[in-house]
Amino acid sequence: MKASSRERLTLLLLQNTTPILFVAIFLFFGVQSSQFLQPQNIENIIKQASFIGMAAVGMTFVLLTAGIDLSIGSIMYLAPLVAGQAIRHQGIGVFPALLLAMVVGMLFGAVNGFCIVKLRIAPFITTLATMVGGRGLGTAITKSRSLDFPQPVLNFGRSEVLGIPLPIVVFVVVVAVGHIVLTRTAFGRQVYAVGNDVEAAKKAGIKTDRVLAGVYVISGLCAALSGFILVSQIGRLDAPFGKGDEFDAIAAAVLGGASLFGGVGNAFGAVIGAVLVQMVQNGLVFTNVNLYLQPMIQATVIFLAVFFDSLRGMRLTKLRRRYIRIPTDRTAAQPPRVDSARHGIVSSSGD
Amino acid sequence: MATAEKFSGVEAKMNSQRRALAQSGTRQNARRMLRRLLFSEYFILYISIAYFLILAIFKPALYQPANLSNMLANAWPLFAIATGQTFVLLIGGIDLSQTSVMAMTSVAGAVVMVESASATVLERSPLWGHLLTEEGGVLAGSAYAVAAAVLVMLLIGMFIGLLNGIAVARFNMPAFMVTLVSMTFFSAVAIYLTQSENIRGIPESFLKLGNGDIISLYVGEKASKITRRDILSFITYPALISMALGFVGHILLTRTVLGRQIYAVGANRAAAAVSGVPVKRVIVLVFVISGFCAAVASILYTARLEAGRPTLGENLLLDVVGAAVIGGTSLFGGKGKIHWTFMGVLFFVLLSNSLNLLNLSAFYIDMVKGGIILLAALTDVTRTRLLAREA
Amino acid sequence: MTDTILEFREITKTFFGVHALHDISLVVPRGHILGLIGQNGAGKSTLMNILGGVIRPDGGEMLLDGAPYQPRSASDATRARIAFIHQELNLFTNLSIAENLFIDALPRRKPLPLIDRGTIRRRTEELLDSVGLAVAPNTMVEKLSPGERQLVEIMKALSIDANIIIFDEPTTSLTARETEQLFGIIERLRAAGKTMIYISHILGDVMDIADDIAVLRDGELVAQGPKDDFDVSRMIALMVGRNLEQLYPIRETEPSDDVLMDVQNVCQTGIVEDINFTLRKGEVLGVFGLMGSGRTELARLLFGLDEFGTGEVRLNGGSTYNVGVSDSIKNQIAFVTENRREEGLLMEMPIADNLALVSLSQFKQRMTQFIRQDDLAQAAQDVTATLQIKCGNIASQPAKSLSGGNQQKVVIAKWLMSRPSIFIMDEPTRGIDVGAKYEIYSIINDLAGQGTGILFISSELEELMGMCDRILVMSRGEIRGEFARRDFNKENILRSAFREENGHESL
Repeated sequence: MKASSRERLTLLLLQNTTPILFVAIFLFFGVQSSQFLQPQNIENIIKQASFIGMAAVGMTFVLLTAGIDLSIGSIMYLAPLVAGQAIRHQGIGVFPALLLAMVVGMLFGAVNGFCIVKLRIAPFITTLATMVGGRGLGTAITKSRSLDFPQPVLNFGRSEVLGIPLPIVVFVVVVAVGHIVLTRTAFGRQVYAVGNDVEAAKKAGIKTDRVLAGVYVISGLCAALSGFILVSQIGRLDAPFGKGDEFDAIAAAVLGGASLFGGVGNAFGAVIGAVLVQMVQNGLVFTNVNLYLQPMIQATVIFLAVFFDSLRGMRLTKLRRRYIRIPTDRTAAQPPRVDSARHGIVSSSGD
Repeated sequence: MATAEKFSGVEAKMNSQRRALAQSGTRQNARRMLRRLLFSEYFILYISIAYFLILAIFKPALYQPANLSNMLANAWPLFAIATGQTFVLLIGGIDLSQTSVMAMTSVAGAVVMVESASATVLERSPLWGHLLTEEGGVLAGSAYAVAAAVLVMLLIGMFIGLLNGIAVARFNMPAFMVTLVSMTFFSAVAIYLTQSENIRGIPESFLKLGNGDIISLYVGEKASKITRRDILSFITYPALISMALGFVGHILLTRTVLGRQIYAVGANRAAAAVSGVPVKRVIVLVFVISGFCAAVASILYTARLEAGRPTLGENLLLDVVGAAVIGGTSLFGGKGKIHWTFMGVLFFVLLSNSLNLLNLSAFYIDMVKGGIILLAALTDVTRTRLLAREA
Repeated sequence: MTDTILEFREITKTFFGVHALHDISLVVPRGHILGLIGQNGAGKSTLMNILGGVIRPDGGEMLLDGAPYQPRSASDATRARIAFIHQELNLFTNLSIAENLFIDALPRRKPLPLIDRGTIRRRTEELLDSVGLAVAPNTMVEKLSPGERQLVEIMKALSIDANIIIFDEPTTSLTARETEQLFGIIERLRAAGKTMIYISHILGDVMDIADDIAVLRDGELVAQGPKDDFDVSRMIALMVGRNLEQLYPIRETEPSDDVLMDVQNVCQTGIVEDINFTLRKGEVLGVFGLMGSGRTELARLLFGLDEFGTGEVRLNGGSTYNVGVSDSIKNQIAFVTENRREEGLLMEMPIADNLALVSLSQFKQRMTQFIRQDDLAQAAQDVTATLQIKCGNIASQPAKSLSGGNQQKVVIAKWLMSRPSIFIMDEPTRGIDVGAKYEIYSIINDLAGQGTGILFISSELEELMGMCDRILVMSRGEIRGEFARRDFNKENILRSAFREENGHESL
């Protein structure tokens, strides 16, 4: 049993790679620079992480169904763009604009969902095409010029709730709602079921088409929200706005424990993943690392997390195989007690 | 005698066809034709040809020699990368890092061979003063500079592929994440090394690889002086290089043990392993091939753009994966062919070119491209479903 | 009181002009267990799919409790309180037991859209009690054993308060103990008045638990009646449509004394312990063991698929070999795995490609290293003919389109192309029908006749006793007994397999 307790420790470490990595990196930068640990800076990290974080929550929904959404960078661009046009030409207020952006994001997601569910085009191809097409549509609207947002939008972006900056507030709301939807609603549990086995889900009477389309709508909504809040911070929308963010969102979700093969992941994971990536970026600024080196270090951190995750997977398969001669705790602890079970069959309606 | 027999056979066949045509309704025949067209593996080629012919009526510029030459020039490097991607898709993987392989090798090749470099541009590069100076790159001026540069580029491409392959095969990491990381990492390296500047001063003999021509035509009025610009190249060095690469890839897949094993790994990895296929080695090799092909494409692009570019290939992902998938290669492994990919590349190049010719502003092109890819994917899905119903 | 709960009247269904079901009229008495048997393709699943609303019949009707029953979808069947427990379980391993039971209609805490977790926990606890599964309702299904998962499926049937429960090959992945538990529950369900249809290839089980038996053959109902009218040999005769004189073909040849494989002290911590045996030329050596006895694991590590611990394997009296799949193939060892879908075949690929896979390197041109395509195609064609694989064009027809028996023949054929001298076969007849089994047995006898040594691993003792020269019995990763043909005795072999289990796993 000694060997197996060591195994269990390794497994415990491997199972919590991202939190361990998180703490290690936090401590590392904390030692490097005292400024890093300032509350102001920590707030800043979370604020910066919130944009990718929101998108990553939506991405988690998609990854849970074993899908992928490459189009969210374009949604982050297109949704605030439409809202910005409406502000400029129709003179609508900030909140209607925000709503409009969200609707645009959901519509975009619905298009993805339609192609994937009804036309049965693979998610990778669908969203790759809408990624290119969506950005094309955006640049066609703006003629590739940048779009400035009026002061009210900036004021909105700089507003605070109980002293907490708006992006963090929205991020917290998105994560909380995402978490509740995933764990407490029928839809959320069906997302997990579909990700585990689509065919079985169909047989079990789940409306899989609705679930699958739903996750892309949610992903579009999260991306649109993220894009709008981000633009409200900087006040200007350029042609490459949000470009490549889909990869950051995927990385954040995967760092947070979501599997590309579906069925595994949760909303809080996206927070950890997004903050981790942002923390590395922020810490590197404090340690005066060349700006161009930062993506390399970030890539390395992501690589390590994925690497340890697959080590864990390999270890688990190995452990699972060894059951012939050493009975596992589970079967020893809880043998199915058929014989001692109470007699009679439950039937809820008397017939 | 034999020829005559053969000939009469053909004639008999034609006669019988003619009779059949007369007998059955033309409608039924048309439907049969349509089905044969739809189920043919050359479907996308037929579509491309039809598209070309229809568009040619409205836009004569399409078939002007200058445009054709231009289209071909665009097709070759894309075909080289897409060949590599096809290998990875066949085992059910994906290689997002091809673009960074191109950037990385482009920079590395330039650092080896450039004949001069501008201090004002590249001063801040960490290589400045060591590997890169006012006098050029490491082997500047050497007779072997170009050969060495090509070799370095290919080796780096294969090395990055090797790293990807080991991570995927040995450590069971998902190909998407591995190549996503190496995409970020190596394009960052390329940008870091040059501080996001292009390296100019590529030697003339290397440029030949991008623009060297073998068969060229001058189409126009008789003139005493023909400017270089008016001579249109059709068979070029890139054409030869790319076709050779595609041909070797095709032979590798169809005629060798490795090729059959690649299909087997893509179709069912566990069954392949039981049958003695060295699955891990096959996976590693496939990624190495992908890196190699990306490096070849990088050579062609670097020569054509006359600079080592740290952002080379940035926006190519859609074109590469799109071309392979439109040709009929499956994202789930086990299904795909090099000549399908070639047709996909032709379709893509034709599409981009025609959208340019239609005077669509550049902004619309991406939009239409996205739509057409969806459409092409949809026809493929429909075909597959119909085929399944046939069986 | 044997009134009728379900009646099929002249049910007919054709696919592409071929009768899948022809005039099936069948009566299921209330509270009975109907054993439904037939070869693969006899129409069992078509009939059950019609009952389940997955497909609709071309003619005939069904009566449920005397009223016409015309299901148009799976949910219609659920509403009619008919439940199906399939061979492959339809559970979501990443959800809890409670969530699995109610996933299609999770109750809400109105007016919020949130799941009413209290309700589903309570109802799950009741259901867990009723099948005697002592785990918490929020236990993840991935933590359950196959037998426990089967119980969850039964709970699903109970949760819709099903009156009719259909079991389709429910024991395929269960251990002997779990099978016993399942039968206990089926008994209790019968006592509670449920009607059940039990479909299985294991005729002994059907004899044990069914009240009535119905036999389908080629889409027709060839016999129906109370269990007492049947015995196993009559059931087989009815299923096959002719009298199989012998279940097992007779082998004319004797094993020689030449040792092909000599396994000495092979150990792998936690998996197998101190394995010693020899396999001789022309010998069919059986390995019997219950599920989890280590029989499959032994096969996998001898073939080099899994890590090899300590010990030695000598081939042909001399050379030892480093165990690894490619070494094994080089040493002319072949391995038919227990699950042909996952590890045996490239289902989407043509038959010819499947056949070529193992022996590719033997068809290389020496100079160019290219594959000699024509020779390969010819060899594939030959082996297809030798094993009488029923198929169309092997170059284009995908493996998945074949019947189970022919698929298994393709697996055997692909190894034959590499001319093995040792054949390890793990459950070669699992999930294939009686006729195809006989053909596989004949192939095994032919191979042995040509001097091949065969390690025949099975959980069906009868087939080992019918086919083998010797039987090794495994339990807990060790070889616990060895029986020569003249000592074959069902009781002794079983006792050996169950030894030291403290009655835990006794039959």
